Amino acid sequence: MLDSFEIVSTSGVVLWSKQYVPVGANIVNSLIRDIFIEDIRTSGDPGQKPTYKKEGYTLKWTVAKDLGLIFVAVYQSLVHMTWIDKLLDNVRTLFTGLYSEQLKSKKYSSTEYPFDDYFDRQVQELESKNDGQPATPARRIPTTDTTPPSSSEGESAPAKPSVQGLKVPNRSIHADSSADATPVPTPDASRPASPAAHILQAKGLRPGGKLSRRDRQRAKTASPAPSSGDEGRPTSKGGKKSNTKKNRVWDEFGLADHADDNTQLDYSAPADLDEATSQAVEHVEESTWGKRTGKGEFVLKDLEDEMDEILSKVSAGKESSSNSTNGFVGSSLGAIGGLFRNVVGGKTLTEADLEKPLKGMEDHLLKKNVAREAAVRLCESVKVDLIGAKTNSFTTIETTLRSAMERALTKILTPTTSLDLLRSIQATNRTGRPYILSIVGVNGVGKSTNLSKIAFFLLQNNFRILVVAADTFRSGAVEQLGVHVRNLQELSAREGGHIDLFQRGYGKDAANIAREAVQHATSADPKYDVVLIDTAGRRHNDTRLMSSLEKFGQLAKPDKIFMVGEALVGSDSVAQARNFNASFGSGRGLDGFIISKCDTVGDMVGTLVSMVHATGIPVVFLGTGQHYADLRTLNVSWATTLLMK
Amino acid sequence: MAWHDQDSWLTWVFSPSISAIIVTALIALLLPVLIHTILYRTQAQASTASFLLLGPSGAGKTSLLTLLERGSTSATHTSQTPSSAEITLPSTIKSASNEYRSENDSSFSGAQRFILTDTPGHGKLRQFASDKLDAKTLKGIIFVVDAANLSKESGGRAEEGLTEAAEYLHDVLLALQKRYTSAKTSKGPKELPVLIAANKFDLFTALPEKLVKTELEKEITNVRNTKSKGLLDSGIGTSDDAVEEEKEWLGDGGEGKFEFRQMEEVNVFVDVIGGNVTGADGPGVGKWWEWIAKQI
Ligand SMILES: Nc1nc2c(ncn2[C@@H]2O[C@H](COP(=O)(O)OP(=O)(O)OP(=O)(O)O)[C@@H](O)[C@H]2O)c(=O)[nH]1
Ligand SMILES: [Mg+2]
Repeated sequence: MLDSFEIVSTSGVVLWSKQYVPVGANIVNSLIRDIFIEDIRTSGDPGQKPTYKKEGYTLKWTVAKDLGLIFVAVYQSLVHMTWIDKLLDNVRTLFTGLYSEQLKSKKYSSTEYPFDDYFDRQVQELESKNDGQPATPARRIPTTDTTPPSSSEGESAPAKPSVQGLKVPNRSIHADSSADATPVPTPDASRPASPAAHILQAKGLRPGGKLSRRDRQRAKTASPAPSSGDEGRPTSKGGKKSNTKKNRVWDEFGLADHADDNTQLDYSAPADLDEATSQAVEHVEESTWGKRTGKGEFVLKDLEDEMDEILSKVSAGKESSSNSTNGFVGSSLGAIGGLFRNVVGGKTLTEADLEKPLKGMEDHLLKKNVAREAAVRLCESVKVDLIGAKTNSFTTIETTLRSAMERALTKILTPTTSLDLLRSIQATNRTGRPYILSIVGVNGVGKSTNLSKIAFFLLQNNFRILVVAADTFRSGAVEQLGVHVRNLQELSAREGGHIDLFQRGYGKDAANIAREAVQHATSADPKYDVVLIDTAGRRHNDTRLMSSLEKFGQLAKPDKIFMVGEALVGSDSVAQARNFNASFGSGRGLDGFIISKCDTVGDMVGTLVSMVHATGIPVVFLGTGQHYADLRTLNVSWATTLLMK
Repeated sequence: MAWHDQDSWLTWVFSPSISAIIVTALIALLLPVLIHTILYRTQAQASTASFLLLGPSGAGKTSLLTLLERGSTSATHTSQTPSSAEITLPSTIKSASNEYRSENDSSFSGAQRFILTDTPGHGKLRQFASDKLDAKTLKGIIFVVDAANLSKESGGRAEEGLTEAAEYLHDVLLALQKRYTSAKTSKGPKELPVLIAANKFDLFTALPEKLVKTELEKEITNVRNTKSKGLLDSGIGTSDDAVEEEKEWLGDGGEGKFEFRQMEEVNVFVDVIGGNVTGADGPGVGKWWEWIAKQI
């Protein structure tokens, strides 16, 4: 069962909610943090709404971007709810339709939204449509085709019919033929094929009855047995449902008559669905009808009429808007008006308006050395943000897009929590442990150099440092580190800094050396404050070397693992960041990036964005030159300015 | 019919006819009144005092805004976008500028109103807040902290809570200080009061006001220390104006202990007042109302 359903504004106020079981606020909070703010990607079935799992709950959501609303449904992960997607869509349509005025007003957050009755009706309707009914063809096709481990609807659904005593032949005909007819489960195809959608769409289309030829064909073929007794059906809303039941007649030749009047076809859809369900289901439906003959009948019917109207208006609106774009006069006039408004501002942005500027933006980002994947996704998210938004007065689409992109970049690059290395070292040392920091990365990106820079910085803050040569692989690596340590000893001798090298030569296991070094640092007198571990460079696609990192992480137990990446690297940066982040096993990842050689790329600092974007891990340091002091922390506005230049 | 003709309107205006005199007299009398009302209206409109709600995530900013706006709280979740509301002081509390004004004065209700802007507290979304710091109408900043999530002793999460609050507060105060020092050339900005609203006083784990203040001061000292020892950031030295190369420290040259009193040098006055948005027992929001009223 549904545990709770909330409608939350992006400003953080719960506008309306229905709690069946109390659900802690932290559940929805973490959805907002992880999905909406941190932008963690979710894997879901195409054509279905993504899910988010937290503490035994599953959350599904949808948004009304233009109004800044989030609709969240929360239910126990153990329960499989097949109709949540539909509920979310319908509730969004209803809520935004019913309260569009209030939601647009300034006082939207302090308005009461008496939505309970509408919601209850929706749940009741969808529940009764879906209970005891086999998962509809469109739902079953994607689940069996893609078979994601998370979704077991495909398994549970076929089991139900037999329990319910469904006529097996009917069902199999239905499922088979429709599976043939809709081989590709595109989101478009799956929508009208779900039962509730059929009904909603049929209702929506009643006045005009406009359905494209192809849709009609599909509806036809998806329904193997359109009823033939439709002509005499009254078109009043109230009578509709009962009629679909009365007129249920199996027509063996139904598939043949394609040239039918389309209104008839519309009605055939729900009829056919009822047909496919069992007597048992019918019985359930009948009982809900019976309820309505009671005292509350009038109210309920009113509500339903209103809901139908809103839902139908929206689907009719979609139809007409897609049609109107074909009109020549309309489009050319619109284009002129659009051009004008583009200059003056106050234009409501559409997908078409944004297409070209977005392409330009994408190219611009690519030129700045942002990996294609990151550039595409950034543009995508900015597009979603902007569609339906109005441009400010005297701003062009391009300017609006730029500032939106600037905001998106700032958000990506800003770390969630503070990255104050000195303070976390102090905190760790207070517990009597040395702080362990290790550096990983591909060959030749400047691991040892950046490690020495960090050592230099820490020496200036009077920490006692042990540098560990855990690169036992590349010849000369230990000596190189030795040179750095000697230099640093000389540099810091006057200020009383202390730095030593810990080395065991070549060929030994790096993980064991690291563990030994940590023990040495803890037992030494006086203790070392910081252990800096240099590791061997490895190609991120070298599975053998990469897999040894997991053991390294377990034995050395670093407080922080930083990956060094070159600012010069192009599209490879994404794969590097991802592979290294995943190489430490579950529950451990990278803690930050050090981007080296930033002085060599000018304003092409796109690698920053690519790496952070791929992993959500922040950039801690930038290497900006050849000297020990050439280490910087990231200034986000500096980076965004360079990127947008 | 040109303007110099016998019966043009200009001739009529200068003629000694009684109607012309009446019209002229009316204009002369009504114009100042009209101008006065127009100016007065726009003035009052533009200068509605505004306050900014800052503070770490989960401190209770959005809850406070909804409480002040409609008199009752509602459930809230993590905010992603800022939001503003126009709020009227309760009739029992008079704003400072209304102290000697009669309640029947037409400007009375205008001066009882203010705009409160809530901002998201999540680390990634603080850009919204910093954008709003230099608004002209800004009369004060309300920095909300969760007083039940600050004590060092409770360890773990609470310590993080203190650190996060202190870091954010440090950045806000530093921004205010910069606002003051960079505007030195002209007449510096007016004084800006900061209210540290120690929220959730209904919980028994909440620290008392005094401790909230000292804990925050101590932790800001730490933040300032490590910041001063930290690395330069990538923006420094790359900007064109070399004047800004110097890093700026909060308070007295960045030395010794930080105290909120040090901010008075840059016209920033900090008060720490406890209260609670939800929960039956506790001081409520009365004192915060009074603080706001004092600033308008
Ligand atoms: N006990 C108690 N809880 C409170 C009080 N004020 C707010 N809360 C709770 O604190 C939680 C967070 O409140 P919000 O107002 O959403 O926090 P916020 O500061 O807006 O957080 P962000 O939007 O993430 O920046 C909510 O669950 C509130 O119910 C209070 O005075 N006492
Ligand atoms: Mg909030």
